[in-house]
Amino acid sequence: MQPATPLPNSLIVTAAALLLPLLAFGVIMLATRSRHRLSAAISIGAAGLSLLAAVYLLVQHWQMQAPLIFQAVWMVSGQMTIPIGILLDPISLSMFAVVAAISFLVQVYSLGYMAGDPGFGCYYGCMSLFAWAMLTLTVSSSLLQIYIFWELVGLASYLLIGFWFDKFSASEAGKKAFVMTRTGDVAFLLGLVLLWLQLGTLDIPVLTNPATVGAQLSPGMITLTALLIFGGIVGKSAQFPLLTWLPDAMEGPTPVSALLHSATMVAAGVYLFSRLFGFFSLSPTAMAVCLTIGTISMLLASTMAMVARDIKQVWAYSTISQLGFMLMGLGAGSLFAGAFHLITHAGFKALLFLCADVFIHHCGTNDMFEIGRQGGRRLKSAVVCTIIGAGALSGLPPLSGFFSKEMILGHLLDSGHPVAFLAAAVGAFLTTYYSFRLIFIILFPRDSGDAPPPESHDGHHHAGSEWPMTTVLWCLAGVTVVLGFFQTPLHDFLARAGTGFQAATPAHHSWLPVAACLLAAVAILQAWFEYGRKKARQIGWVEQIPFLADLFGQRWYLDRLYRYLLDTLVYRGVSRLFTANDRRVIDGALDGLGRSTIGLGRVIDWVHGGMIQYRLMIMVAAVIGLILFIGWGG
Amino acid sequence: MSILTLLFYAIALLIVVATAMAVTRRNMVHAVLYLVLSFFGTAMLFYLLGAPFLAALEIIIYAGAIMVLFLFLIMMIRLKTLPGMFFPVGQLLPAILISAGFLVVSSVMVGRNPAGWAPMPAAQASPLAFGVYLFQTHWLAVEIASMLLLVALVGAYVLGRRVRGPSADAREEAP
Amino acid sequence: MIVPLNHILLLSGLLFSLGMFCTLARRNLIMMLLGIEIMLNAAAVAFVGASLHWQQMEGQAIVIFILAVAATEVTIGLAAILVVYRRTDSVDPDMDAALWEKGGSR
Repeated sequence: MQPATPLPNSLIVTAAALLLPLLAFGVIMLATRSRHRLSAAISIGAAGLSLLAAVYLLVQHWQMQAPLIFQAVWMVSGQMTIPIGILLDPISLSMFAVVAAISFLVQVYSLGYMAGDPGFGCYYGCMSLFAWAMLTLTVSSSLLQIYIFWELVGLASYLLIGFWFDKFSASEAGKKAFVMTRTGDVAFLLGLVLLWLQLGTLDIPVLTNPATVGAQLSPGMITLTALLIFGGIVGKSAQFPLLTWLPDAMEGPTPVSALLHSATMVAAGVYLFSRLFGFFSLSPTAMAVCLTIGTISMLLASTMAMVARDIKQVWAYSTISQLGFMLMGLGAGSLFAGAFHLITHAGFKALLFLCADVFIHHCGTNDMFEIGRQGGRRLKSAVVCTIIGAGALSGLPPLSGFFSKEMILGHLLDSGHPVAFLAAAVGAFLTTYYSFRLIFIILFPRDSGDAPPPESHDGHHHAGSEWPMTTVLWCLAGVTVVLGFFQTPLHDFLARAGTGFQAATPAHHSWLPVAACLLAAVAILQAWFEYGRKKARQIGWVEQIPFLADLFGQRWYLDRLYRYLLDTLVYRGVSRLFTANDRRVIDGALDGLGRSTIGLGRVIDWVHGGMIQYRLMIMVAAVIGLILFIGWGG
Repeated sequence: MSILTLLFYAIALLIVVATAMAVTRRNMVHAVLYLVLSFFGTAMLFYLLGAPFLAALEIIIYAGAIMVLFLFLIMMIRLKTLPGMFFPVGQLLPAILISAGFLVVSSVMVGRNPAGWAPMPAAQASPLAFGVYLFQTHWLAVEIASMLLLVALVGAYVLGRRVRGPSADAREEAP
Repeated sequence: MIVPLNHILLLSGLLFSLGMFCTLARRNLIMMLLGIEIMLNAAAVAFVGASLHWQQMEGQAIVIFILAVAATEVTIGLAAILVVYRRTDSVDPDMDAALWEKGGSR
């Protein structure tokens, strides 16, 4: 890989974009934590500059031919060198820009949301930490570096989920998220170690080069490592079977949910997959597993979303399902479809979360029925933005989601996965259904003829700081609306990523967009029939079947299953073993050690104390014996 | 049997008797004085065996310095005479056995060396020759020995210092 | 012509066992130290005899160092005995823990 275009310039800009948030984190945590306004200004300033840098890089390298890579040796140990570096190619650049943009917008939004919170400064410190880790993750040049920042992102997520740590459920949720993602990361790390042992390097350009990898690794080994790394992706992107942490993570502040748990951090898993697309595509088994997992997660999460009453939970389930959708696209062999959906999804999901946040803030509840009853529809901009976001989520033209979703569907059809295609269609239908169910519930509340006026303008602790929130909403909405039309230039741009991008643009099935729209329309109609129209009872068809309602409401009993497994395997099995080990071996050894020390002490005491002349006699007798031995024996 | 041989046996007898007396005295001052006598004998023996310089050192250091140090200490501490037997049997018997055993073993070892039975010619190392030899051949060891003496000096000072501590008063009352 | 070497060595051995007996049998730290001095002296006698036997001054040089060691040993030993005496009010080599605690711990 030869660096092509002006090397120092891009490097400096990237490094600055990476270091500024870190600097902000340090300054805020060390110095300005107690000064809220200043901390916010520092953090937002850093994020804004990063965004500028990202835009500059994007413009600068729009025509790039070959990826840029800058590497320096970080540590050397014997035969082993660990490089650290920056890899700029279309995928990382676009993700870089997305992360910088969403971070910046969410931080601005938080100005309004978090105003008056006692942990305001800390909050911005954590946000900066996250921005730093996530930005560095996107441009990392080796898997080891990705892994390091992957864990740092997890740490930031833990800190932010448990931000209101005095609330028990919040700290529990933080722990749960941390532990569950860690479960996947163990697999990831194992995969890395295996790869390292086999290849001796973790550089992404090497890994994604089919020629070298294919020559050095047996197909079985490729599949094994790919699956192990995929384990990390499953954890991070909350896919089946590690998906239950994401809904719980909604305990954190809503902007955090918008930034970490929908737009960027959970997308890191999908990003890693697209990063290593060339590697994964060497193993058909891994791709099939990916497709299957994506499908299962998408369907499971959609069904869960259908019965949820908590507005944030709905969007959390929807995030899982959309991430599954992306994995389906990637698993079907189309890098662009997955990456494109990743980008569009980041935009509209952040928008949806921020809107949900506006509702929650004004009505003081997460329950969408309650929000509707309290007159949530009077919050004009939030309602309009939610409709735009939900439209994009459902894939309605001409919003951004329409294009990316239709691409994935097309690819599934093209690559000969009819079952997956059908599942995706069902998933899209369910997605539309639950999105509009939510909208109708908020728009047409029942039994609320004389609802009290919402406390919108005199209400909460942040009166007068509305403008950052609404501005951000409209920005994101605008992006959502127009992003779809950039499909072709984006595709051209991403196509220059080179490796693993041979998949041509799918032959357009002219009937597919129409069919998708029809499907969406049917779903909207059903939602209207059940929730929207005047006489609707606002009870979905799922809720009329108690079995299904239970199943979906309890998250398919996944949490119960985990609890059961935890109880039987860990508490009754492993931990009993450990207890026995603790008691018998460790305690026993320590007791024995103590006892023998005391015994030895007694012996030494007896030798030292008492009559020294007896010891002397023994000594002399020994010396005489020695003389005899040497004189006669030797 | 020359006069020197006779002298040797006389001196040897003196040394052994004086040492035996020293070992068995109950009064330590007497013991030390007998030992001084023994060391005088040893000095004469050294002179007889051709080491006049060592004979002088023996008198100056052993009889002069070391024994006087013993006397100092004995006079510093006022010992109560211990009640009971002077030589407890449980300790005396093994001590005699071991010492006699050593004597027998060493005598037998010495006797096995036939070359040692030939009488030796008399010779003398003049102090000048000895000094030159010592400082030419063993100068490093001499330096080390001087360092050892310095350490002993400091060590004796540290050990002998009365420690002022919380329990010092209690100890003041004790003697 | 004076005595053979073996006579000197026998005298030295006799002195050594006398010193050993003194060290082993006397219930008195000072007398133990005295016994050690006797043993060192016996060794010096043996060295001087050997020096004469082989007509080498090596043996006499060793005696110089024996003197130095003896002086050191006596200095430190007597100081230590003094500490023991201050602590336990006796010079009995039977160092009972009880005796030590009587004087308090340093």
